[in-house]
Amino acid sequence: MHSFRLVVKELLYRKVNSLVILLTVIAASMVSVAMITLSKASENETRKIMREQGLNLYIFPKGTNLIDFYSVNNTSTFPEKYVDTLAGSKTFDAVRHLTGILQLKYPEWTDPNGSLHQIVVVGYKDEVMQRFLPKQETMGFDVARGTVHVGALLAKNIPEGETFKITGQDGVLHEFIIAKRLEEGKGMIDQGVAFYLGDLQLLLGMEGRINKIEALGCVCHDGRIKNARNQVDAIFPDLEVTEISNIADARENQRLMMNKYGSFIIPFVILTSLLISGLMFYANVSARRNEIGLMKAIGKSNLYISSMILLKAFILGLLGSIAGFFAGMLVAGYFGKEIFKFTASDIQPLWNIFGYGIIIFPVLWMLSSWIPALLATQVDAAQILSQE
Amino acid sequence: MLNINHITKTYRKGGKSFTALDDVTFKAEKGDYIAIVGPSGSGKSTLLHTIGGLIHPESGQILYKDRDIYSLNSHGADLYRRENVGFVFQQFHLVPYLSVYENIKLVCIQPACTQHIESYLEKCSITPLRNKYPAELSVGEKQRIAFIRAIITKPDILLADEPTGNLDPLNSSIIMSLIADFHKEGGTVLLVSHDQGTAKYAGRYITLQGGKLV
Repeated sequence: MHSFRLVVKELLYRKVNSLVILLTVIAASMVSVAMITLSKASENETRKIMREQGLNLYIFPKGTNLIDFYSVNNTSTFPEKYVDTLAGSKTFDAVRHLTGILQLKYPEWTDPNGSLHQIVVVGYKDEVMQRFLPKQETMGFDVARGTVHVGALLAKNIPEGETFKITGQDGVLHEFIIAKRLEEGKGMIDQGVAFYLGDLQLLLGMEGRINKIEALGCVCHDGRIKNARNQVDAIFPDLEVTEISNIADARENQRLMMNKYGSFIIPFVILTSLLISGLMFYANVSARRNEIGLMKAIGKSNLYISSMILLKAFILGLLGSIAGFFAGMLVAGYFGKEIFKFTASDIQPLWNIFGYGIIIFPVLWMLSSWIPALLATQVDAAQILSQE
Repeated sequence: MLNINHITKTYRKGGKSFTALDDVTFKAEKGDYIAIVGPSGSGKSTLLHTIGGLIHPESGQILYKDRDIYSLNSHGADLYRRENVGFVFQQFHLVPYLSVYENIKLVCIQPACTQHIESYLEKCSITPLRNKYPAELSVGEKQRIAFIRAIITKPDILLADEPTGNLDPLNSSIIMSLIADFHKEGGTVLLVSHDQGTAKYAGRYITLQGGKLV
């Protein structure tokens, strides 16, 4: 008789034992999948929040006075192609999401009512993908050519449906479609306008020039900023790196928090489940002593006898991992909606986790049944079979 | 065919030792029907299980076709039991989650073995029980199935340990006549019993007392 059929029949016969073992796998798989999915969602949420807050590293020309940078228009500029050079460097990996920016004060902007205002104009270059790093979702300020995003304070002075008009360095009035009216509370851009970099450079007669690169610093063992500074300095000694530490800290803390919970909860649940499962397999072997004794008497090998237990563990591990994956996704979806405002709808099944799960859990549960399987081979058939 | 040479088996428990078999020696030829009799605790079952390769003796040899079964490796010992020995026990030891047919098929390796199951079921008048489970059967029916399971592979030796111990007289006589049929077809039977009525089917008696042949 095929051992698979034998195992399935036994599994269905001793329903309670099988069900408890199955539940331990489901619990372990569900918690792992939910934690990993929520951790991923947390990363996505952080990314979205960071996008809202801006990037955490600023790269300026060396010697830039930050007070001047925000108040007057005499900061140094540097070539826009620096961004591409950094992105193309194999050794430049401490910084992600490189976005070239030209940011200036525009002293006399006339609103549609004829009033004069001093506004901030910011040109964003498309975020540059780093060739030697894994591709990531862009975080930059995506402004399309010919359009602008208008800050909340300015938007109040521009009627709906109107275009944004501004006089260029050439004295000509330029017109841009308002693609987005930004919400209040975005910082300096509340009183400014975001352009496509090329458009702003043309407007101001500063083709090919930028005065800032915004980026995201990595979480590095020897400190975020130190690594980034060394790497930038090695390529462009005329640039320096400044960190907006509250943003960087928020990002890092959120990542560490999820990793900390995950690194405690997942092993705890898996080990507890494995222990319960191991005890259930032990109970199963004890309940099957007669049957195991008979198997020995009819000449079944120790390998056959232990494989009956291991195969049962494999089947339950496989079924439990599949059920646990979908249960974990439901849990992550349910709690994710409560926890993550921005990315709740983006919580999707992580199919690579499913792939790992259907391999790891059957193997782990076979390991938990290993000692009971060995004990099964040690059953004294003569003692069992001669009982009256 | 079967030489039991100076077999000794001692059990030790809590600092005390108990000699179950003490220098037991006898021969069984093909076609012999031997009843092993003696009082409880005399070592009958131990001797039967030792011949079946389930209890390793301290000393002595069990030679089957001139080969010591305890010199075989694990695989060889499994093969010896699978191909040459059939067991019938007082408790039937049917697998509770397998049907009658599946319980018998459990021992079959070759397709030819499986093909004989139906004819044996018919011979033992239990064909209608084919798809029933052990919990649905009477003790007599269970023992008939255990008997078919023991002989379906056509072993040389049938080791029967008190096969009628739990049966009423009618079922006892059915089982004993089935064992007799196996013997008539050339099988070797070693039957443990303390019931003289059952032992009368045997052509030869071996009496054990305190682990010794008397």
